[in-house]
Parts: sequence; C-alpha cells; structure tokens
Amino acid sequence: MRGGRRVAIVGVGYSDAGRRTGLSERHHAAQAARAALADAGLESADIDGLTTWGGNPIDFAHMLGFSPLRWHLDVGISPAFISPAIHAAHAVASGQADTVVAMRVILQQPSRANLWAGGTGMAFDAQFQHPFGDLMPAQWAGLLTNRYLHESDATEEDFANFAVTQRGYAANNPEALMREPLTVEDYLAAPYISKPLRLLDCDYPCDSGAAVIFTTEERARDLRQKPVFVEATALSAIHDMNFELLPDMVRTSPVHCLRQLWSNTDLTAADLDCAQLYDGFSVITLQWLEALGVCEPGQAGPFVSGGGTSLTGALPTNTDGGACNVGRRHGANFCIEATRQLRGGQSGDRQVADAEVAVWTNAVGPFSGAMLLTGS
Amino acid sequence: MTQQADLASPAPPEMVIDALSAPFWAAARQRRLELQRCQDCGLFIHFPRPVCRRCGSFRLEFEPVSGRGSVYSYTETRRAFHPFFADRVPYLLASIELAEQADLRMLSNLVGIAEPDVRFGMPVEVTFEDLSPDLTIPVFVPAGSPA
Repeated sequence: MRGGRRVAIVGVGYSDAGRRTGLSERHHAAQAARAALADAGLESADIDGLTTWGGNPIDFAHMLGFSPLRWHLDVGISPAFISPAIHAAHAVASGQADTVVAMRVILQQPSRANLWAGGTGMAFDAQFQHPFGDLMPAQWAGLLTNRYLHESDATEEDFANFAVTQRGYAANNPEALMREPLTVEDYLAAPYISKPLRLLDCDYPCDSGAAVIFTTEERARDLRQKPVFVEATALSAIHDMNFELLPDMVRTSPVHCLRQLWSNTDLTAADLDCAQLYDGFSVITLQWLEALGVCEPGQAGPFVSGGGTSLTGALPTNTDGGACNVGRRHGANFCIEATRQLRGGQSGDRQVADAEVAVWTNAVGPFSGAMLLTGS
Repeated sequence: MTQQADLASPAPPEMVIDALSAPFWAAARQRRLELQRCQDCGLFIHFPRPVCRRCGSFRLEFEPVSGRGSVYSYTETRRAFHPFFADRVPYLLASIELAEQADLRMLSNLVGIAEPDVRFGMPVEVTFEDLSPDLTIPVFVPAGSPA
C-alpha cells in the first residue's frame, strides 16, 4: 500500500463452520481467532487491534484476552469481509495498531418460517419492495442475471459450467461443505429460485467464523508463516443498497473499484496468478472477470466454459471452490484462499504453481472492495 | 375441524409508511402514480429521500408521472418468501425505466403477461392492484393492454 508501513497477512483461521451448528457468534469468533493465532504463532497479548462484521470487537477482544486494544472498529453492512480486512490493514499501515485481527462472523440466515414471522426487516425502503413480493437477495440477483444474459454472450450452460468448475475445485478442498461431483445436467435440473437464477447460483448458507491477522512487515518476518503482503486496496460505493434500481446492472461497482485498485499499484491484471472473486451469486463472479479485463466485455460466460477459470486456465479463479461450496464465509474465504495460495504448498491439489500475485474481491452492484496481495 | 376456517388469508407483508412516503401510497389508493420531485432542479427521486442528490434542495414534493416506461430487467420468482405470495407464485418482478427521466427506475410487478412473452425494453404502462382494503400498489402491463 502506498504511504505508511508495509503490511502483511500472517495468520488465517476458520471456526468449525457448518449448517445450523447451534454455536453462537462468540463460539465461532473464538474458534476462528484462536485458529488464526495458532497459524501465525502469535499470543493473545500480541493483538492490539480488532475489527469485525458480526458480533462486537470489544466483546470478542475481552473474551479472547486481547485487551487492552489500541484500535477497534465495529463494521456494519458493507461489502462482506473486505471492509474489516481493509480497515485492519490500514490501521497497521498508519500505526494506529501493530497487530490487528479482522473477522467476519455470520450465522445461517433465518429460515423462511422466521422471515414469514416478520423478520424481513422494517427499513423504510422495504415498503417499496415487500408489497411487490421483492423480499430476498436472490430476487435482485435474478434481475442482474437476466440483464447480464440479455447483454452478454453468456448462456445458461455457461452458468452451469461455472458451477461445475467451482465444484471441481471444492472436491480438492477438505474445508468445503459441498464436495460431491456436479454435472451440467445437475445444474440445469436444479430449480429456479427467481428465473433465470437457479439454486446452484446461490452461495451455501452456513454458520461461520473467519479471522485474518494483519501486522507489520518487520513483525511478520519473525512469525511462523511466509508473509503475504498487502499491495493495494480499494473500496467502492456507487449507489444506495437498492440493487433493483441500479441504472446499469451489468457494469456495476467492481468496474469503479478496480479502477481505484490499479491506480494504487504498479502491478496490472496481467500480473495475476489467481483471482478469488466473490460468488454470492454466479453473475457476480462473471462481472468481476469482465471488470478485470481477463476477457472481453460480455465474454465471461464463454471464458468460463472454455476453462479460463480452471487450474490450467488463463486465470485460476475461486480455487477453494467459492462460497457456493465452501459455504457462505462472506468473502473471508477468498482472503484466506488467496493467502494460502501465495504462501505456497497450502492449497493441496488446487495449488496454483509459483503463485506470486493474487486479487480477492467482495460484493457487487452498489458497493464492492478489492485487495491485491503478493507473496514477496 | 374449524381450523381451516380460522385461517384468515395471509396479509401482505407489514410495511412502515411515514410522512416521507405517505403521499405515494395515498396517490396509489386513488389509482395515480406520483413520485417525489425536486422543486428546484426538477429531478425525480425514487425511493423517496429527504434531500435532492443533484442540487441539495430540501424542497421535494410528489407529482404525477405518466405511468409509461419500459422493461429494463425482470425475473420470475418461483418461491414464496412470505405467506401472502404462496398462491401468487410464480410472479414477475421488474425494474421499470420510467419515461420521465433517464435512469429513473421503479421496482414493480409485471402483470397480464407470461414470462416467455416479456422482452427487454418493451413498453409498459401503470395500472393498479388492490392488495388489501387499505393497500393499492402500482403495477405494470404491456402498453396498450385493455383496461
């Protein structure tokens, strides 16, 4: 990052994620943080900053014995895990803290029964959505996917190939929740949720905690893992949170976000060895691929079907299997997978050979964020 | 035995209407589409906001619009995410570009047309649907549909 101290990722960790684990936010936070500390070879007393989306940073810090903190931030609705991660990195860069844990703790969304009981939210804007039956993110995703299919060369078969490719990676990831082989026919046989969006275009809800530890380059040199450096970051917001009203549903926040990212580094998209691109819904990853310029506009579907995102393709993408298979870690999985790829030798049969530069990105539409990482 | 009779038909999702949004719903009750408009620079604003994002004015009032527009995108929802919609699925949600202003969008339903017949950019016009004795929503039909 330009300006300030050089920052490295030194520890990553997950909780015991799964479907309806029965564990609280504190349980998942505690498991993830302890796992990240062990990964890094750090002690609780080394931590002087904490930020999280999900739970409360002060509460978590006391529980984990991190007190006193010099820096903390409770992150609200934002582009998934990228917000805590970017704020943590900049807190270290600016010297507000030396060693910061960034977390995303997310419990499986309420069941439909709970939503029906009135849990759908009472925000002001909902009065212009709910009476029309616009109640769930899968529906704006249906609008974005349909417009994308209209403007691009992508077909439903390309979306099927995307799901199949991701599942192929997941088969090589012991931490993925969905690992059974998947075929194009399986994808096409899955029901529409909000046509053209199908069930297998959606990430897989689960209970999850994830933690990533950022510290200075100097400190990182003494720790257990090969440091992975934060080369550049970018956050973007181009609209309020009403995806349904976006003037352009195909070229959304990722385009603006990546313009910021590349203006903060001498590296370019041509330097990427792998990409971890948000896949809350399939169309999101396709938008990011086009925003990265790895294929021509409208060509992300054929790019995926041609193997472009596979391990031997032009840009290995979502090499942990993505949130559709690893579970809804809400973007933290992409930070953790990018870090492991750049450490080298930690991604098993999905390891990208000699990976030196990786980008991981979160969200789409109104808002997004990106972080560029390097292995040296 | 009386259980079924006791089951009232489900109400539409609960919604909070306040002073900022009340004129929209009052107009809809009278089968008029009215949107918030800046009285200084003329910008239409939907969903309603306390301030104009273009000129910063707080002088915003609701004004009638033509109700004509075109389909920017649409999706056919197959699952009921609320009991009110259980016997309405599948239904069409659409992002409508209204004629008054470039990029002025409205989230609504397409009715009177089957999903395979919908086309991107097709002209549509507003009509009104009573969801309950108290709630009328503006929805859209293909332009020129019989009233």
